Amino acid sequence: MAVERFLQPRASSWMANNGENVDIAMSTRIRLARNLTDFKFPYSFTEDEALKVDKEISSVLLDKGSELDYTFSHISIDELAQLQKEVLIEKHLISPYLAKTQHSGSVLLSQNEELSIMVNEEDHLRIQSLQSGFHLQNAYKIANELDTFLEKNLSYAFHEKYGYLTSCPTNVGTGMRASVMLHLPALTMSHQIQRLIPAISRLGMVVRGIYGEGSQALGNVYQISNQLTLGKSEYEILQDLENMTEQIIQQERKAREAILLNSPSTLEDRVCRSLGVLTHSRLLTTEEAATCLSDVRLGIDLKMIQDMDMSILNELMIFMQPAFLQQYADNPLQPKERDFARAKLFRERLNKKEINSEGEDLA
Amino acid sequence: MICDQCAERYASVMVKQQQHGQITELHLCDICAAENQSINIVFEKDPLAIHQLLSNWFPISKASINPIRKEITTCPSCDFTFSNFLQLGKFGCPSCYDEFSSQLNEIFKRFHNGNTEHTGKIPASYGTTLKIKKEIEELRKQMQVSIQGEHFEEAARLRDEVKMLSSKLEGGALNGS
Ligand SMILES: [Zn+2]
Ligand SMILES: [Zn+2]
Repeated sequence: MAVERFLQPRASSWMANNGENVDIAMSTRIRLARNLTDFKFPYSFTEDEALKVDKEISSVLLDKGSELDYTFSHISIDELAQLQKEVLIEKHLISPYLAKTQHSGSVLLSQNEELSIMVNEEDHLRIQSLQSGFHLQNAYKIANELDTFLEKNLSYAFHEKYGYLTSCPTNVGTGMRASVMLHLPALTMSHQIQRLIPAISRLGMVVRGIYGEGSQALGNVYQISNQLTLGKSEYEILQDLENMTEQIIQQERKAREAILLNSPSTLEDRVCRSLGVLTHSRLLTTEEAATCLSDVRLGIDLKMIQDMDMSILNELMIFMQPAFLQQYADNPLQPKERDFARAKLFRERLNKKEINSEGEDLA
Repeated sequence: MICDQCAERYASVMVKQQQHGQITELHLCDICAAENQSINIVFEKDPLAIHQLLSNWFPISKASINPIRKEITTCPSCDFTFSNFLQLGKFGCPSCYDEFSSQLNEIFKRFHNGNTEHTGKIPASYGTTLKIKKEIEELRKQMQVSIQGEHFEEAARLRDEVKMLSSKLEGGALNGS
């Protein structure tokens, strides 16, 4: 089955570690929401319509995707086992919402996993472009090219006043959500982040902890994205987000310098202890792993830790999650067993220090 | 009805607030509503709880009190009513946008920092027609100004330009389809 390839313990290229500011800005994502004319939105369409939409969109990508130099794999959601869906969610290739769909839905994945097109999620089409590092323009360029290509072959629901029509009023207009994932340990340690978040929201952008709900972001990873999609062009939205992200990056650098200047040995102790935990524990909870990963990451950035490859840390952030661990262990695992498997995974990956380039299998 | 807060502008929004178990109703104008704390709190707690925001915005049960939505709109293409939209926070189909259009400006302003019109990418198939339509709109505005200022020669020139563009639009539409 096509999905097997994407379930492997293999790093997607967007998990690599490339480009400027990559120590702080870990990855970039652009999402475009689109719908077809002549079909109801997924909230109200029938299964029959869902099938037609899926077929129409998938056939364009499968038949003509090569015109764009992509090969797409088509994966129907209802053919996936629960665990397989969860692994794809943990790799950010599908959304939790799509995994729960009652209707025919699917995902089309490019071989390098940088492009993912969800069909019949909240909208008929969700084009997602992922890039390693801070590359808003490039990620948009890729999404936009695919969008322009699809538009030639499909009839999009578009309104002269409102722009691209979407199920949800928060996406109407450009249908674009651009986001950057940021590692902000120093701003978090110095409690500056609480001050920063409201200021960012007031400028029409949203900050979230990467793994979701709680106020404290797991592993000090935050996602910043545009809130408004109407009234500004894609270019302006990207520009605003880029400026804001650059400012946050500068603030984080200043905070790092300040901490390093004021309490170098405390910081070094913390970094080295965390490295010890990751390389020698026998039980590791998600929270502890995330916290230690954040410290070690910071240690690498500040040159306290040498000869450790950052891209391994990026992979581990993804692969330490429950579904992936169970896939890796080839067994359903109880929470305690997961902590054991997680510790084992970290020891294996970090003590070997082998670099996984170009998505080769780790085994 | 006059805004409860500024007592100046017309109230266009009704906000229900729960305080100490008591529900109070506030009638606000657009501007005061945008500054209303209780709406902000709901919004910031969970930006995805759109239906929650919308039901604060247009309380469904008290629809008859609210002057701006006495009529019940139903989208003929998907059978969604405006109440369905408010409850779910989602549209049923592309046509809903036109059917509910009279209510949407207020909602979009809230979600998109006061904006109600798309200014971004336009699909190629819509591109030329839309561009010409916008030009005509602009010329018509200029023409009104010229007439008011009694610059009739200028107004006549603008009228001819509008005519020229309009015929181009018709021709384009014929070629396009
Ligand atoms: Zn007022
Ligand atoms: Zn409708």
